[in-house]
Amino acid sequence: MKNFREIALLSSYLDEELNTTEAAQLEARLPSDPELVSVLNDLRAARDILRKLPARKTPRNFVLTRKMVGLKPPLPRSYPIFRFSTALATILLAISFAANLLTPQIRFAASAPQAVYGFGGGGCEEPCGGDTAAAEAPATEAPLLEVAPAPSTDNATTREGEPPADAMQMPKEAEPESMVAAQPPARNEAFVPLLWQIVLLVIILLSSLLMWIMRLSALRKWR
Amino acid sequence: MDEIALINASQKGDLDSFNSLILHYQDSVFNTALRILGDEDLAQDAAQETFISAFRGISSFRGGSFRAWLTRTVINACYDELRRQKRRPTTPLEPETRDGEEMDSPKWLADPNMTPAEKSEADELEHAIQHCLETLPTNFRTVVVLADIQGLDYSEVAATARVPLGTIKSRLARARLRLRECLRGFEELLPASFRLEEESTS
Repeated sequence: MKNFREIALLSSYLDEELNTTEAAQLEARLPSDPELVSVLNDLRAARDILRKLPARKTPRNFVLTRKMVGLKPPLPRSYPIFRFSTALATILLAISFAANLLTPQIRFAASAPQAVYGFGGGGCEEPCGGDTAAAEAPATEAPLLEVAPAPSTDNATTREGEPPADAMQMPKEAEPESMVAAQPPARNEAFVPLLWQIVLLVIILLSSLLMWIMRLSALRKWR
Repeated sequence: MDEIALINASQKGDLDSFNSLILHYQDSVFNTALRILGDEDLAQDAAQETFISAFRGISSFRGGSFRAWLTRTVINACYDELRRQKRRPTTPLEPETRDGEEMDSPKWLADPNMTPAEKSEADELEHAIQHCLETLPTNFRTVVVLADIQGLDYSEVAATARVPLGTIKSRLARARLRLRECLRGFEELLPASFRLEEESTS
C-alpha cells in the first residue's frame, strides 16, 4: 500500500489539480509502479461511480412565499407619522392619568407642615422652645406658692374681675379653627384637565384607525 | 437567466427574482442535502431552510460564485440537522400490521433496494453509493459530495467548506479510497462496466 501522500497526489492527479511538473513526475513513475496504477484505478473507479450517481429531481418546488420569509407589505410614507403620534399621545395620556392621580396626594403632603404651624399656636422662625418653657414653668411657680401660701383678697378680687379661665381659653381653642378657615380651600381640580385627556384619546383612536386602514389597503394592493 | 441581475434584485428584496434563482438551483441544493443527510424528507427540509436563510442573508453576498455561496448555506443547514439528530436521536415509528402489531421486518431492516428483483439497477447503485457515503465521516462526505457529485473544483470546495486546499485534497483522497473499499461489498449491484473495470485493474 502506498503512503498517504502518494495517494493524495494520485487523487489530485485524477482531477487534474497537479501542476505540470508534479503531473509529469507522477506520470514518469506510473509505468514502473503497478501498485501506484492500481491505487489510481481504485480512486478513478470510486470517482466515476460517484459521478454516475443520478441526480434526483426535487419532489417539490422550494419557491418562497412572502409569508415564509416574513415580508410585510410596503406601507405609505405617512404611516410612521401616525405611529409616532399614537405612541406619543398614549404616553401623554398615561402621564396625565398618573399626574391626576398623584396630584391630590402631593398637595396634601405639601399642606401638612402648614397645618402643624397652625395647630401649634403659630409658627416661630427659630426652633420653638415650647417644651422647655413648659418644663421650666412649674419650677418657677413652685417657690412663689411657698412664699405666698394664702391668696390675698386683692388677688381674689382682681381674679374675679378677670374673665373666667374657661372663657380665657375659648378664644385660644377657637383660634386654630379660624386659621384653618382662613386658609384657601383645597382645589379639587385635576392637574391635567379632562378636556386634554379626551383630546389625547381621540388622537389615539383616530391614528390607530387610520393606521389600520393604511395597513389593510397596503395589504390588498400587495396581494 | 441573468444571474447577477437576479441577485441584485433579490438583494433589494425582490422575492420573485430570488424565486427564479431557486428554480435554477433547487435540484443541486436538494441533491447536496440528500447525499449528506441520506434522507429525502430531511433533505427537503434542509433545502427549504437553505433558501429561506439564503434570502434573508443575501445582502451579505459580496459577489463570486453564487452556487458556492448557496452550497455553503445548504451544508450549514445539513450540519445543523446532523447536530440536532446527534442531540436528539429519533427512531421512526415502526409500521404495524392490520392487527395493530409491529411488523417483524420493517422497511429499514429489509431494504428492498438491496434486492435486484425489486428495484432497477440504477436504484440499487444509488442505494449502495448512499450507503457507503453514510459510512464516511461528515467532513469527508461533504468534500466527496461537493467534488465528485456536485462537480465543484478544489478551490470551490475549499471555499464552500471553508477548509484549506491541502485538507480538501487529503480528505478527498481518503474518502475515495474508503468508498472504493465499501463499494467492493456491493460488486453484484454495480453496473457491469464498473465490475469489469475492477476486474481488469485488480
